[in-house]
Amino acid sequence: MAAHPTVADIGTDYLSKYGFHDPEEYFARAPKGLSHEVVEMISLLKKEPDWMRAFRHKALDTFYAKPMPTWGDTAMLAEIDFDQITYYLRATEKQETSWDEVPENVKRTFDRLGIPEAERKFLAGVSAQYESEVVYHSVKEELTKQGVIFLDMDSGLREHEDIVKKYFATVIPAADNKFSALNSAVWSGGSFIYVPKNTEVAIPLQAYFRINAERMGQFERTLIIADEGSKVHYIEGCTAPVYSTHSLHSAVVELIAMKGAHIRYTTIQNWANNIFNLVTKRAVANEDAVVEWVDGNIGSKLTMKYPAIILKGERAHGEVLSIAFAGPGQHQDAGAKAIHLAPNTTSKITSKSISRDTGRSTYRGLVKMRKGAHGCKTSVQCDALLIGSAARTDTYPTMEIAEDDVRVEHEARVSKLGDEQLFYLRSRGIREDKARLMIVNGFIEPFVKELPMEYAVELNRLIELEMEGSVG
Amino acid sequence: MSAQPNPTLSVALEHVEELARGLGESGDALALRERARDLVTPLVLPDRARHLWRYTNPERFVPVADPTVLAPVAIAHEWPREDDLAAAALIAGGALRMVEIDDTARRAGVVIEDLHRAATDGLLGSLVPPEHGFAEAINTAAWHGGVLVRVPAGVELEHPIRVRCVASAEPVSVPRVLVVAGAGSAFELVEGHVGGGVPALVLGVTEIAVGPDARVRYSLVQRWDAGVTGHLTARARLERGAHFQMSLASFGGSLYKADVGAVLAGEGAQAEMFGVSMGGEKQHMDHHTEHLHEARKTHSNLDFKVALTGAARSAYTGMIRIAHDAGGSEAYQVNRNLLLSEDARAESIPELEILTDDVRCSHGATVAPLDEEQVFYLKSRGLPHFQAMRLIVYGFLGQTLQRLPATTRERIEALVASRLHEE
Repeated sequence: MAAHPTVADIGTDYLSKYGFHDPEEYFARAPKGLSHEVVEMISLLKKEPDWMRAFRHKALDTFYAKPMPTWGDTAMLAEIDFDQITYYLRATEKQETSWDEVPENVKRTFDRLGIPEAERKFLAGVSAQYESEVVYHSVKEELTKQGVIFLDMDSGLREHEDIVKKYFATVIPAADNKFSALNSAVWSGGSFIYVPKNTEVAIPLQAYFRINAERMGQFERTLIIADEGSKVHYIEGCTAPVYSTHSLHSAVVELIAMKGAHIRYTTIQNWANNIFNLVTKRAVANEDAVVEWVDGNIGSKLTMKYPAIILKGERAHGEVLSIAFAGPGQHQDAGAKAIHLAPNTTSKITSKSISRDTGRSTYRGLVKMRKGAHGCKTSVQCDALLIGSAARTDTYPTMEIAEDDVRVEHEARVSKLGDEQLFYLRSRGIREDKARLMIVNGFIEPFVKELPMEYAVELNRLIELEMEGSVG
Repeated sequence: MSAQPNPTLSVALEHVEELARGLGESGDALALRERARDLVTPLVLPDRARHLWRYTNPERFVPVADPTVLAPVAIAHEWPREDDLAAAALIAGGALRMVEIDDTARRAGVVIEDLHRAATDGLLGSLVPPEHGFAEAINTAAWHGGVLVRVPAGVELEHPIRVRCVASAEPVSVPRVLVVAGAGSAFELVEGHVGGGVPALVLGVTEIAVGPDARVRYSLVQRWDAGVTGHLTARARLERGAHFQMSLASFGGSLYKADVGAVLAGEGAQAEMFGVSMGGEKQHMDHHTEHLHEARKTHSNLDFKVALTGAARSAYTGMIRIAHDAGGSEAYQVNRNLLLSEDARAESIPELEILTDDVRCSHGATVAPLDEEQVFYLKSRGLPHFQAMRLIVYGFLGQTLQRLPATTRERIEALVASRLHEE
């Protein structure tokens, strides 16, 4: 890679140096590839404070300096061409995709899932906004009354700079990994949520409700802060396939649960099968806090995502419940991390994966107990279901235990969709395809029952679609 | 891949040719040595991001002295006479020093001979090729002091064969063992590693070819003195219907890395592995196990137990891989860690890679302290604390210890007891 400006250059004289005064004009001229100019223009366009601009530039240098991961699906990762990626799009450009360009199979899936018309266009990138004003209005009123802040990240930075500055990148520093560095340099959109002390947000907050255009950026950035004793459930994504011409999605999600707070973060990821989904998600759980990641991975070409919980305060509890469905050609490389720093913290990781046809699912996890973390407990359970002789599953758990007064359990099972189960169901007159679906639905049931009703219904329909053609 | 040569570290292998010639080896043997030497010149150490070396610094296994230089050494290591051995071999001071075969085994055609001059039919370096890793490559380039154990087809031995490797008298020990089990043969082999003192380092490699329908019990017992740094690699290749049982007992040395496993290459092959590692004081033990299922209807079962006292540290990584063509296979893997002191540390990475659906496979790992309820129960029946603890540890390790031949088991039980006395 060519030499790049170093940190010392940052934030000083980009304007005079490169002569781009109009970011709009800049992006019209140079839409692809990554450079300090692109970062400068993104920051200028968003009218960001200097500290954020400097943060972005420094992150870009970190991105350049860090090598690609030498672990995981390195062959697939090598396909990413960073120079062919558009790192920022103006809102007007986003609406330029026409409905006619949306692939037939995506449209068909919308039909089958029963996604409303307006929503379809939004999900397919045809419309940048989803008209949910009516629903949102009442939600917004309720939230405002409680003092809950729920904005897109860009607005969050504009309207609540003090809070953002205090917590941004404190859980996931830019230098955490190559892709968090990339996100830190070019992030756009995502959610910013602050829940005041002792406040319980009654309904799940969904990115849906937010009116702003930046909902599903390639490089979205989410920061959720649940103050002492508060409770919030956030839902990201949805079951419908998200069509995008971009090949790389790399989000950073930071959760901070203060003393006694409870955060649940639910994701159902169904990116189109051409997308690399390389996401860093991490939570800090302070004293008596509870953090739950409910994580479903259905889409994308390659997903690498390991939601982490740092159990920092005594008696904190963390849970990760995940399912992955790897269909033909997909690799779902997902997992979880629980880092026990404080005494008497507990964690539970449940991972279920289904690999069908040439699909590959990988569980990659870490459980770490630091010296002094007395009385901690963790249990990890991984179940993999294989459908078809070309399917593949891997389990790479890591346990690092530096304290004797703890309990650590890990268990994994791999099985194929059982002939006996099939025989039993068929002997009761159930058609084979129906029987297979029943078995798969039974397998992921612990996950589905944690979802809000409408999501559970959609997920079941989605699995039905994914299972089509799996007989034989 | 991304690993760069470390300019400050290199391994001197200057006298590969003289070594091979001096030992009377064939041209093929020299070619293998040279291939191995070229792999580590320049020396590229493994990328520590990869789990195999995540917890152990590979630099510690790089010899400082040139291991291809034969140091003239006088060996005064007596062979402790043991009853009921089919055969015995002693490797010490960089050479095979003693071979004994009892009459029954000799008449049956059992061969124990110096590996340097033995006909190995291309087996040497085939199960653990120099490409396996830098430690194996150094051994392959420089090994001296090796033994071939060959048990002909159909021969069943009542008594075990014992191979003892003594680490002493030279700065780098590079022993090599090749075991060939003929079709339908049945025997037990105990490979013991003892000694210490002078040597900074042991880099050993063992290859075991298990023929069709053969039944082999193999124990790798490591009881080095404190201060020894060692890396042992052992691989078995199992042909159709073969049954291989491996016991792993790791007690000694200051820094130990073992890389052991079996390739289930023939249909219906079965591999069992029982391992016990007990570390104390500041010992660092790193074990990697591998079961590679390459043929249909193969079966593997692994139970690896770790008990740690003092400030000992254990790292365990285990791989089960079931190839696409290995349908109908089953694989099970359990790793249990018992932490008996506050400063002990355990790492565990039991891994699965399953490339076909027609399998049954599971693994489990636990890390836990001594169960205070069990201790309380035993103490309430009048046992002193130390005895209660020892009983629980014996219970924990018991299943594995039972698999060892009686004489080895007694020795290891004594080691367990002395380790517990230290507490």
